[in-house]
Amino acid sequence: MRYHRRLVAIALAVMFFLTFFFSLSAGQYDLGFVQVIAWCCHKLGLPVLQDVNVSAQQEAVLMFIRSPRTLVGFMVGAGLAASGTILQGIFSNPLADPGIIGVSSGATVGAVVAISLGVNAVNMFAMPAFAFVGAICAVFLTIGLATRNGRIPVLTLLLSGVVVGMLLGAITAALLVVMDEYKLQQYLFWTIGSLDYRRWEHVLMGIGPIASGIVIMLLMARHLNILALGEAEAKAVGMPVVKYRLLLLLVSAMTTAASVCISGSIGFVGLIIPHMMRMLVGPNHKHLLPASIVAGGVFLLFCDSLGRVLIEKTEVNVGIMTAFLGTPYFLYLLRKNSNIEK
Amino acid sequence: MNNTVIQVEDITAGYHEQSPVLKDVSFNIGRGEFVGIIGKNGAGKSTLLKSMRGFLPVWSGKVMLAGKAVGEYQERELARKIAYLQQQVELTFDYTARDIVMAGRYPYRKWWQQQSEADREIADACMKYTGVLEMADKPIRALSGGQRQRVLLAKVLAQQTPVLFLDEPAAGLDLFYQEEIFRFCQELCHRGKTVVMVVHELNLAARYCSRLLLASKGRIIADDVPEKVLTRELLTEGYGVSIEAGRNPETGHADIYTIPEPMDEAKLRLLETIIGGNAGKDVCNGNNAEQSGKGGDMA
Repeated sequence: MRYHRRLVAIALAVMFFLTFFFSLSAGQYDLGFVQVIAWCCHKLGLPVLQDVNVSAQQEAVLMFIRSPRTLVGFMVGAGLAASGTILQGIFSNPLADPGIIGVSSGATVGAVVAISLGVNAVNMFAMPAFAFVGAICAVFLTIGLATRNGRIPVLTLLLSGVVVGMLLGAITAALLVVMDEYKLQQYLFWTIGSLDYRRWEHVLMGIGPIASGIVIMLLMARHLNILALGEAEAKAVGMPVVKYRLLLLLVSAMTTAASVCISGSIGFVGLIIPHMMRMLVGPNHKHLLPASIVAGGVFLLFCDSLGRVLIEKTEVNVGIMTAFLGTPYFLYLLRKNSNIEK
Repeated sequence: MNNTVIQVEDITAGYHEQSPVLKDVSFNIGRGEFVGIIGKNGAGKSTLLKSMRGFLPVWSGKVMLAGKAVGEYQERELARKIAYLQQQVELTFDYTARDIVMAGRYPYRKWWQQQSEADREIADACMKYTGVLEMADKPIRALSGGQRQRVLLAKVLAQQTPVLFLDEPAAGLDLFYQEEIFRFCQELCHRGKTVVMVVHELNLAARYCSRLLLASKGRIIADDVPEKVLTRELLTEGYGVSIEAGRNPETGHADIYTIPEPMDEAKLRLLETIIGGNAGKDVCNGNNAEQSGKGGDMA
C-alpha cells in the first residue's frame, strides 16, 4: 500500500479552512459564510470582498465569541490528538490515549475541588488551574506506581492508570455527594466537555503549554519512531528508553492537562485521530504527528460547529458530538483490525 | 590474543540474582571470528548474548569490549560498537522497510539532529546488499518471513558496527534464506567484522562458523572449531539425547542427526490411542462413517 501523503496534506489544508469558517459562522446568531470570509479578509487587510457589509454587532460576535471559541477548539483538538499520537508511540500500543494515564480523572478531581471550594465563581482562572494541578499530580502518581527498578513496563503503566482513575473517580464521587445542586450542574458541564463561553482569556491560558508541548513533540518525532519499534529494538540502537519515555510522557501529560483544563474532558479525539491518520499517512511520526495535529483540531472544530447547528435554538456539547461521531468509527476500526488478524 | 574484541570473564548472569541462568562463563572472541553459540532450548544461549550486550544484569564477572567494560559505555556509543538482532521482533505499527533500516542510523545522530542524506545512502546500500532494496517502501508486515529477516539484517548492518550479535536470525526461514544469512555473515567476517550468533542449524553452523560454543545448563562445555565441537560425545552431552555426527561422503559437509529411542510397549500403546482405532483405515477405504451419517441427516 502506498500512502498519499501529499493528497492528505492538501485535503487537511482545505478542511482546515472550511471548518475554520464554518465554526465562525455556525451558531444561533446567524452569520453568512461570505460575511465571515469578508470579515477575516478585512481584518487581515486584504483588498477583497470589500462590498460585503459586516455590522458592528456581527463584528462583536465574531471578535469576542466565535473567534476565541474557534481557536480554543482547534488548540484543544490539536493538543489531544498530538498527545494521543505520542502515547500510542511511546507504548507502541494503538489503544493508548490521553485518558489512560490518569490525566482526565486528575483534572476532574481538580475541577471538582475548585467547584466545591467555590473558587471558580471568584476567578475564572481558578478552575483550569486546579484542574491542571490535579492532572499533573495524577500523572505523577500513575508513573510513580508503575516504575519498577527504573523501568516502566507498559502493562503496569496502563493498569496503574486504571487504578489511579478509579481512586480519583471515588474521590470525585465523594465530593459530589456533599455538593449542592447548583454546583453539581457546574460539574456536569465540566465533565461533558464544552467550548461554550470560551473567551480570549482561555486562548491565552492554553496556548503556552499546548503550543510548546506540540513543538517539543514535533522535535522528538525521530525518537518517537524508534520508541514505537518497541523497547528491545530501541535499546538495541542505543536509545535511553526510560529517559525518553518519561520526557515524552510528561510533555503529553502537560499538553493534555492544558487542553482538558480549558475545555473539560473531551474523549475519543486522542484515540481516534492518530489511529485514522496512521492509516492515511503511515506510522512514521514525521508525517503522522503533523497530520494528527491538524486533523485533531479540524475534527474538534467540526464537532463543535455541527453541535451548534444541529438542533435549533440549542447547542449539543462538543464532548457529546465527538463521542457520537467517534464511537461508530472506533467500532469500525476494531472490527476491521480483527479481520486482518484473522 | 592480540586482536581480542570481546572478553567474557567469569560471568554469572540472568534475570534473578538468586537463580542465575549463566554460571562462571569465560571466553574471548577475536576480530573476524564467526562464533556460533549452540545448545538445546533453555541452555542459556540467548541469555548469554543479552548479557554480553548489557540487556541483562551481570551479577558477577564482567564483559569487556575492546578493553572497556560493556557497562561503562554510553548507550549510543555501545550501539555504534555492537549491533544486536533480537530473536523475535514484534512490530505494532506498519513501518516501511526503509523506516526500519533507518533506525539503525539512530546512534550516529545527536538527539537534535535529523537523519541526513548520507544515512539514507548507507541504509539503501545495506538493503541492496541483503537484497531488499526493491521493497524499501513496502510496509514490513506485508513482507514474507525471509524478506523481513533480510530487512532486519540490513538494519543491523546499517549500524556499521564492528561486532554483530544475532539471536537465531535464521529461525523459521526456508533452506535458501537460512543459508544466505550464514553466507552474509561469513563474508562480513572475512572483511574484519566479528559475528556472534545463536544457532540451531548445526549443519550450517558446521559449514560457516569459524568457531562454536556449546552451551549446556548455563555453562560452556565446549569451545573450539566446529569439527572438534560437533562430535558425538559432546553433542550427546550438550543436547541430552543421542546424536550421531559424521560427514556426508558426497559433499564432505557435516551430517548431524539424532537417534531416537527404541519403541517400547508403552509407547506403541500411546501411538495407538493417538491414531484412534480404525480412523486411518476408513479414510484410506474412502468410506468415511461420519460423512455418510451427515448426508443421512440432511436427507
